[in-house]
Amino acid sequence: MRVAVFHPKDQDGEQLTQQLQRIGCQVQAFWPPLQEPPADTDLVFFAVRPDVVKLDFPWCRESRSPAVIAVVNYENPVIVDAILRLGVKGVIASPVRSFGVLSALVVAQYVNDELHTKDKQITRLESKLFGIRKVAEAKSILMETRGITDREAYRVIREQAMTRRVSTEEIANAIINANSILSFKK
Amino acid sequence: MSQRDPIKVGVLFSDYDAVSASETAQLKGTLFAIQEINEAGGIDGRELVAVQYDPHASAGQYRVLAERLIIKDKVNVIFGCFMSHTRKAVIPVIEKWNRLLFYPTLYEGFEHSNNVIYTGPAPNQNSVQLAEFMTSNFGARIYIVGSDYIFPYESNRIMTDLVQQRQDSEKVGERYVGLDATEKDFTDIIADIKNERPDFIFSTVVGNPTQYLYRAYADAGLDPKEMPIGSLSTSEAEIAQMGADVAAGHFTSAPYFQSIATPTNRICLENFRRRFGDETVPNQTWEAAYFQVYLFANAVRQVGSDEIDVLLPALLGSEHNAPQGRIRIDPSNNHTCLYPRIGQAKADGQFTIVRESRRAVYPDPYLVTHSLGDWTAKLDK
Repeated sequence: MRVAVFHPKDQDGEQLTQQLQRIGCQVQAFWPPLQEPPADTDLVFFAVRPDVVKLDFPWCRESRSPAVIAVVNYENPVIVDAILRLGVKGVIASPVRSFGVLSALVVAQYVNDELHTKDKQITRLESKLFGIRKVAEAKSILMETRGITDREAYRVIREQAMTRRVSTEEIANAIINANSILSFKK
Repeated sequence: MSQRDPIKVGVLFSDYDAVSASETAQLKGTLFAIQEINEAGGIDGRELVAVQYDPHASAGQYRVLAERLIIKDKVNVIFGCFMSHTRKAVIPVIEKWNRLLFYPTLYEGFEHSNNVIYTGPAPNQNSVQLAEFMTSNFGARIYIVGSDYIFPYESNRIMTDLVQQRQDSEKVGERYVGLDATEKDFTDIIADIKNERPDFIFSTVVGNPTQYLYRAYADAGLDPKEMPIGSLSTSEAEIAQMGADVAAGHFTSAPYFQSIATPTNRICLENFRRRFGDETVPNQTWEAAYFQVYLFANAVRQVGSDEIDVLLPALLGSEHNAPQGRIRIDPSNNHTCLYPRIGQAKADGQFTIVRESRRAVYPDPYLVTHSLGDWTAKLDK
């Protein structure tokens, strides 16, 4: 596992990188934080300190970004707000102890993966739902223009999709587009 | 340890004028209390011995010296720290060795360590009262100026939250200057303030730069009657640095001012001046540094030891007649019940106390409840 550590080179920073190496991670450490983590980074430990709370790190909010675990030494709302803006998936407290790093890492990685999976599922479901709405709209166009039943309209759409080897959503889209052009002519 | 041996205590403040007159005052307040206790016969005959280091305002030095106090000098208790990042540097050491830190400074809250006794005000004991006073007397258009570190960030966030509870509130500016700022760093800010015309200015400028803010304000011809500065940290000590004429008319929220008219306070100030002269200016951080040594001494006298495991139960819930009034350590959060006051600076460098709480206000370091206009939190007078 490739881990980037954004932490000053102090007792905490060294404790953290050494423990990550002990548990088998490839570690690179940087301070001040890079604009974005090196390519292929799986996870980032990020020291969220008063001097970085005003900086912006857009990569944290991208959908396939590596999980971020905050290392904090203050627990006041200024810092809490900063870790929420970074979208962290875990927090460890300063002073850093060896114990707890592994569990934080595993949980953060799991939550991050789970979130990505859910994101993908949601995108798929949204497009599916959108497709169903399109098909329903196309059906009602056919029913109205050709005076056929719901079931017959669906059969027309499906047959067209099969002969042209495209999805029913695409046929539905074509019908809706055609209809809007035809209605315009009227 | 025999029952006649001296008791060594660590003292960790920067006696270094580049940082803050308030921290120097803390050092003197601590040493003053130790002298008084020893002259009165020590703790059941045992002398208090201060082992004192100067960390020169470096967080790294605070950590190293705290560890040296514990390992080499074998102290069980340290009195020390002014700025938040120095406290944060010392706490891991204190917790690792299970020792006790007494921290006598107003700070931004949101912290609890079982190895720390906090004797300065939490935000519910100074910010809430200042917000209430300033918004009801001057209005809720606020301009914020602060030093660039965590105490101002958090205090400003809290103040903004409080002020926004007023209907016509508006934050018209929020600016930060370095901890080593000089007069020229405030030129721009004062020009902007002149332009924005806020109802009041909230300053969380800390330490030596404080004087330059007030000086720049006065030089620009602004009038504290119309647009005063409200602060949590501008005390008699900072005013002595800037000159009383420049500070007159502005407001500070603190649990202690020299002008508190009680015999305890008057006698305490007289004793201090007799020993230490007029060079150190007593203020809120001086008072907390002073009374916290007494809290410690009282508890040691009660249990016969300065080790945290026996000492802490005696400390938590303990009371003491401090110069500000009878204070008490809240056993649930290790902070102190204090008397919020609002002072207006006068031409002689002292404060007229314009509002004060008759009863001690409980510390609420995590600001669980803080609403403006809550009459249970209203100050009397």
